This record gives sequence, C-alpha cells and structure tokens, in this order.
Amino acid sequence: MNVHTYEKIWLVAAMVLIVAFIATITYGSVGLGIAMVGDQQPTIEPTELGDDERFGEPRVEQVGENEYEAYVVAQTFSYQPDPIEVPEDSQVTFYVTARDVIHSFSIAGTNVNTMAIPGEIAEMTVEFDEAGEYGIVCNEYCGPDHHNMEGKLHVVSADEFDLTDLSADGPDEVAVGDSVDVDVVVENRQLEDLETTVTLEIGDETVSEEVTVPGGDAVETTLSVDSSALGEGDHDWTVTVDDHDSSGSVTVLEELDDDADGGEDDE
Amino acid sequence: MSNVYIDQFPAEAKVIRAAFYSSFLALALGGVFGIIQTLHRTDFLRFMDSVDYYTVLTAHGVFLVISFTIFFLVGIFTWAVTTSLDRGLEDIRFTWGWYSLMAIGITMTGVAILAGFTDAIDMSASVLFTFYAPLQAHPLFYLGLVLFVVGTWVAGVDWFRSWWAWKAENPDERIPLPTFMVLTTMLMWYIATLGVAAAILLFLLPWSLGLIETVNPLLTRTLFWFFGHPVVYFWLMPAYMMWYVMLPKFSGGKLFSDPLARVVFVLFLILSVPTGIHHQYLDPGIAEGFKFIAMTNTMFLLLPSLLTAFTVVASMEHGARQRGGEGYFGWLKALPWRDPVFTGMALAGLMFAAAGFSGMINAGMNINYLVHNTFWVVGHFHLTVGTAVALTFMAVTYWFLPQVTGKALWSRSVALGQVVVWFVGMTFMSNAMHRAGLLGVPRRTAEPQYEGFEFQAAVGSIGELDAQIALGGVLLTISLGMFFANVVGTALNGRSDDLPANEYAGALSGPDDAPLVLDNLKLWTAIAVVLVIFAYTFPLLSIIDRGGLFGPEVIPFPLTVESATTLGFALETAASTSFESAGEIATSALTAVMR
Repeated sequence: MNVHTYEKIWLVAAMVLIVAFIATITYGSVGLGIAMVGDQQPTIEPTELGDDERFGEPRVEQVGENEYEAYVVAQTFSYQPDPIEVPEDSQVTFYVTARDVIHSFSIAGTNVNTMAIPGEIAEMTVEFDEAGEYGIVCNEYCGPDHHNMEGKLHVVSADEFDLTDLSADGPDEVAVGDSVDVDVVVENRQLEDLETTVTLEIGDETVSEEVTVPGGDAVETTLSVDSSALGEGDHDWTVTVDDHDSSGSVTVLEELDDDADGGEDDE
Repeated sequence: MSNVYIDQFPAEAKVIRAAFYSSFLALALGGVFGIIQTLHRTDFLRFMDSVDYYTVLTAHGVFLVISFTIFFLVGIFTWAVTTSLDRGLEDIRFTWGWYSLMAIGITMTGVAILAGFTDAIDMSASVLFTFYAPLQAHPLFYLGLVLFVVGTWVAGVDWFRSWWAWKAENPDERIPLPTFMVLTTMLMWYIATLGVAAAILLFLLPWSLGLIETVNPLLTRTLFWFFGHPVVYFWLMPAYMMWYVMLPKFSGGKLFSDPLARVVFVLFLILSVPTGIHHQYLDPGIAEGFKFIAMTNTMFLLLPSLLTAFTVVASMEHGARQRGGEGYFGWLKALPWRDPVFTGMALAGLMFAAAGFSGMINAGMNINYLVHNTFWVVGHFHLTVGTAVALTFMAVTYWFLPQVTGKALWSRSVALGQVVVWFVGMTFMSNAMHRAGLLGVPRRTAEPQYEGFEFQAAVGSIGELDAQIALGGVLLTISLGMFFANVVGTALNGRSDDLPANEYAGALSGPDDAPLVLDNLKLWTAIAVVLVIFAYTFPLLSIIDRGGLFGPEVIPFPLTVESATTLGFALETAASTSFESAGEIATSALTAVMR
C-alpha cells in the first residue's frame, strides 16, 4: 500500500494520542483511585424497598470516625431523604436505588453523578472538605414532572452536625392533680455517645434531664409535670434536645372521662 | 442523452427523490419541534404545558435522527451504488418495497408520538429517542420502529444484490470506492441493529402488549446502546462518504488516497459496535472492567476520524493548488468558497473537529462523570449529527437535488447563506450548551430552573447562556426556512439542460494501491462479530445473571392504571417538598471529590 510520508507521521501521532488518552484514564483509575460506579452491590426488588434494611428508611448513618453511609431512594419525582445532611471533612458512601423508573442522582456542578436504575444499587464514595449547600438534580427523563425532581445536600460544620432523632409522646387529657407524663425517645445514629439534656417546656414549667445516649442506640425517658401547676385548660408543650424539638398539647380537665385517654402527639 | 443522474437512471432517481422528500418532511417537523423546545426550555416563550415538552422532545429526536438522517442516506447510498457500479438496481419493485416499509414504519411511530399531544386518543409514546423501560410507549411506536429498521435491512440486500450481479460480470475488478463504503456501512448496521431488534422484539413490544409482565431495565437499556452508539456512525459514515468522494471534486481536485478511505471504513465496521457501554459509564450493575473495554475500543475509534481529518484536508489542499492556490495557508483562499456545496461541507467538517474534542471528553470514563447527561452532551451531538451530518446532507442536497430532479437549483445565493447561517447558529447554540453542561445543567428537561438552588456560572450567567441558545435556535430555524425555500423553488423549476454531469471524485492514489485484503468483506465482518462477542457476551450474561432475563417487578410507566396512582402520589410528594425547600443558593466551590 502506498502511504504518503505525511500521512504516516499523522497516523503515528494519532496512535500516540489515543494510547496517551487511555494511559491518563488508566492512571486516574489505578494511580489516583478514581472509582467508577460498577457492580459492587447486589440487586434489589424495587417494589420491596420498604422492607429493606437499608432503603426501608432512607437515611445517613455513621460507620467510622469520619465515615458515613447515605441510603438514597430516587422516585418520581423526589429523593429520600431530602435534604441529605452530612458533616464537613467526611467521607460519605452513597447507595442509590430507584423505586420506579430510571432516574439519576447528580450533585449539580460536581462529578458526583450516577444513574439510579430500578433493581440496581449504585455505590460511590465522596469526600466533602468544606461546608456548603448543593442542589441534587435528576438528569434522566423520568416522566411528566421530571423537571421538578430535585433534592438538596447540606454539608454542615462539625458542631452543627448530628444524627439525633427525637420523638415525644404525651397524653391528650389529664385530670387536675395528675401528672402530665411525656415519653421521650432520643436516638443517636452516630458512633460516639451523645451527652445532652432533654428539656420539656409546658406553660411556665420547665423540667430537664441529663441523658447519655450510647452510639448507635436510643434511650427512653419520661418527663413529668404536675398538672395542678398548669391549671385547667389547653397547654402546648415542647421537648427539645440540642437543635431538635417535638411538641404537642394537653388539656387539663377538672375531671377525666374514664374512656377518654391516650391518643398520640408526635412531631 | 445527458450525463445527469435522472437521465442515466430515471427509475432510481424517482426512488431517491421519494427518500429525499421523506427526509425533508422529517427535517421540517423536527425543526419546528426544535425551535418550540428551545424557546420553552430557555423560558423565552412557553405556550404549552411543560408535560408536553417531552412529547415535543421525543418527536424532535426521533424525526431528526431516525427519519431525516436515514431516509437521506438510503437516497445517497442508492445513488452511490448505481453510479459507481454503473448499473441500475436489480428490481425496482423490490426497491419500492423497502422504501414503503420504511415509510409505513416511521408513520406508525410518528402517529404514536404525536398522539401524545391529545387526550382524545388513548395513545402516547413520550419516551424520548432512548425509550428506556420502565417508561413504556404504545405498541405502535415499537412496531413502527421495527418495520422501519427491517426496511433498511432490505435496502441493504438491494445494494448487495447489485454488487453481486456486478461482481459476476467484473470478477477481477476492485469494488468501486462508493459501493465499498455502502457495503461496509450496511454490514456495520446489520450487526448494530441486532441489539435494538432484540430489545424490542424479545422484551419491549411483548411487554407493551401485555404478553410479558416485566422487563429488566438494565438489560433493555444495554441492548439499546448496543445499537445506540453505532447508529451515530450510520449517520456519520454517509457524511464521511460525501467528504471522501464528493468534497475533493468540489474543491477542484482528487481524493488523496483511496486505500486509506477503505481502511477508515473497515475500522468503522469493526469498531463501531463494541463501544456502546461507553454510554453507560454511570450505570450500576455493569462492572468497571467492561466499561474499560468499551472505552479502549472507543478511543481507537478516534483513529478513523483522525485519518479522515487528514485525508479531507489534504484533498482540499490538492484541489486548491489545482486552482492556483499557493503558500502554507494561502491555498485556503483558492478554495471555491462561493459554492454552497463546498462551503457547507467544509464548515460541517470544521464543526466536526470541535465535536471530536468534546467527544474525547465524553469517552474518558472517569472524566465523563462531570458531564454525563448534562447539557454538554446535547452540545456535543448537535455538532456531530446536528452539523457534521445534517449540514453535510443539506449542502450536498444542492448538488443532488438537480441530479435527481433534472432541475436547476433555485438559488445558489440563498443556499450559500443557508449553510453559513446554520454554522453561525450552531456555534452560538452548541457552545452555550457545552458551557451550561459544565455547570451541571441537565439535558432533557422542560424547565432547567430549580426551587432550592441555582447553577453557578464562573464566567457569564445562566441568562446569557439561555440567550445564546435561543438566538442559535432562531438562526437554525431561519436556516431551515432558507433550505426549504430552495427545495420547493427547485421542485417548481422547469427541466434544465445545463446541469453538471453525474460523477464523483477520482483518487490520486487509486484502488490499485490498496491491498486486496481490504476488499475481503467476509474477513472484516468476522472480525467485527468476534469483537462484539468479546465486548458484549460477558456484560450481557452478567446483567441477566444479576437481574434476571425479565428483571425485577417494575411498573410500566405511564400507561397502566396502577401507575396513574403512583403518579398522583408522586406529584403530591413533589409539591410538598418543593414548598419546604427554601430559595437558598449553593455558594460553595467544587469541593466534592469523588474517590
């Protein structure tokens, strides 16, 4: 075959360019450790996410000193959880799946980007160095309201961040003289113990209790206020633990109907 | 008898005319939907509900990349085979047969898509060009696509029949270059379309008819991309053919090297298909190793394009020097810039070089994470199929239309203006799309504005980018108007006796310099099949092994009753979350580094 000299030079240069491209990408994978979304995770039944240990309750969990895992469900046309909150200086592994059709989980302006395919779980690990707020967009067409599918990612400073869940439950009605008992559950999904104060405010009364919640555990306690101090009528109450609060209301009656008790007040 | 195509092959000219007009009809529809969505998306003019945007987008995609491109290319392939073999097709009824199959097929698909605009008919196919399950279209959509593709298969048979008949009469001759290009392209197409045929016939069509309950979304998606990447070469290879066999002629010279042109088409035949997984770098469920293999093949696929860049420029320079051009770059001035055919093709080639660069970014499997499914990608393919292919097709129309109608072109000045306006419009539009993509602006969305955050532009602003995109879209629409003025004006002209002869460029280094093995189509096809087996067997088996042939339980979307309730629930969730999210602005720099 008769190939012109210039063409031979061009051919060699083109091959060098191609090999160089492949080499840089390979260096990125092997040398810098840039991992791809792959087949690390098992498959999952999209219609049974509710019963799944990880995706039944989409959330962020601490798994190491600065290491977290986020279980995210994409569905028409929202993300769970939303917003996703993680601390700065952390390494977060996202596990993303879809409940219905194909979506994406893409943090705008970054290279954090994966498809969310029903039946498959995407895994990717991201380092967050600084506090900030990001938008999450679905960049795969998923149906008529696709353009409204968005979420938020908050990277917050270490002191602002916690993985505490608070729930409180009190009676609807009590008779004057009985005590108003509010049951409180404080859950701590971080690894370290949480030393904090649970405070109940009702009317002008305030009671509090020091609690220590072990890492990855929950404690239950009951805070009580004597209803005589409140007087008859409706009273709003609020339970606070750090930045979290939960509130409800109770009616203090002169005399209680026997069958009117219980009910639930929750956040 | 003159040397114009219509006089040489009157029956074939009629088929080519029909194919061209079908192609132009699709171009007109696609163009109208294009400007509607451009103005809607950039929020300059929103006269429809955003839900309908996706119907418009589906129509824009399917009409332009399926009907416009493929109808046009079957026209020029028919021209290439008959002209270069210097013989008519074996049986013109057979030819009308495949044309009819294609026309019926695309009409069915088009009806299914357009029915999405009205609630009066219980039919829709707003599933976009990629029709990813569990999004489900009306069965008519899939059935139409099947007929259309089968039509192209039969067209390939038609051209092979011509070649076989010619070979029987000319056993010792090399395959003429244009025919060689048609045959290699069709062989590539046969292999590529097996993917989409399997996806539709085995899974999506039975599923849409209710014959099977579920599909595996990752499997049908992978089969789509088995076809979805090589289909871009099905559009591109006819444009390359024009650059090889026509552009040197319009430049005033000859093709630099016939053998290298054959090498390029052989490389496309063997490397086009085993690359599709590079559209799935972000897909969970496909191992990194398979993605790496697809990337390697993709990178080597740069080779034929880089070779083409050399040959095309070298041929143009040869032509310019024949016309008296001199100096290192001075020869550029000697090119026939007043000829719309030449200028359109040259500008298309220039845009394709730019597209090559953004394509290399897309192909890098970890760099891709920054741009995947962003507006960047839309910018990329508006340079490739939207300019390299579409502008080349429109430019050569100014030469082909007189050949197949026997009528002189209505206006060369309007034609010249048209290709320049297209180039300018696309420069605005695709440049702004690329930049918006880098900010994370997604593709395929009716309203790229969000409640909870804004995209941060380092240079310029989102408003400025939107303005450029809208301006580009308007210029492209004006360019299309000029193109159709010429098509209609030419059709209304009377027969002309003063048309150029039907011929293509000769070569400086002719086919005799090419090793015989290059013409061994069986060998190259076998290598192509082996590479496809190598690249796809394990990924497909792994996907089936993981998720099952028919996948997990998925709900078809949006046709069934169950999905309507899902949708209601979803809309409720979406509404409540959007109220909750405050209008805060994400101000941080890009601190998220993926490990």
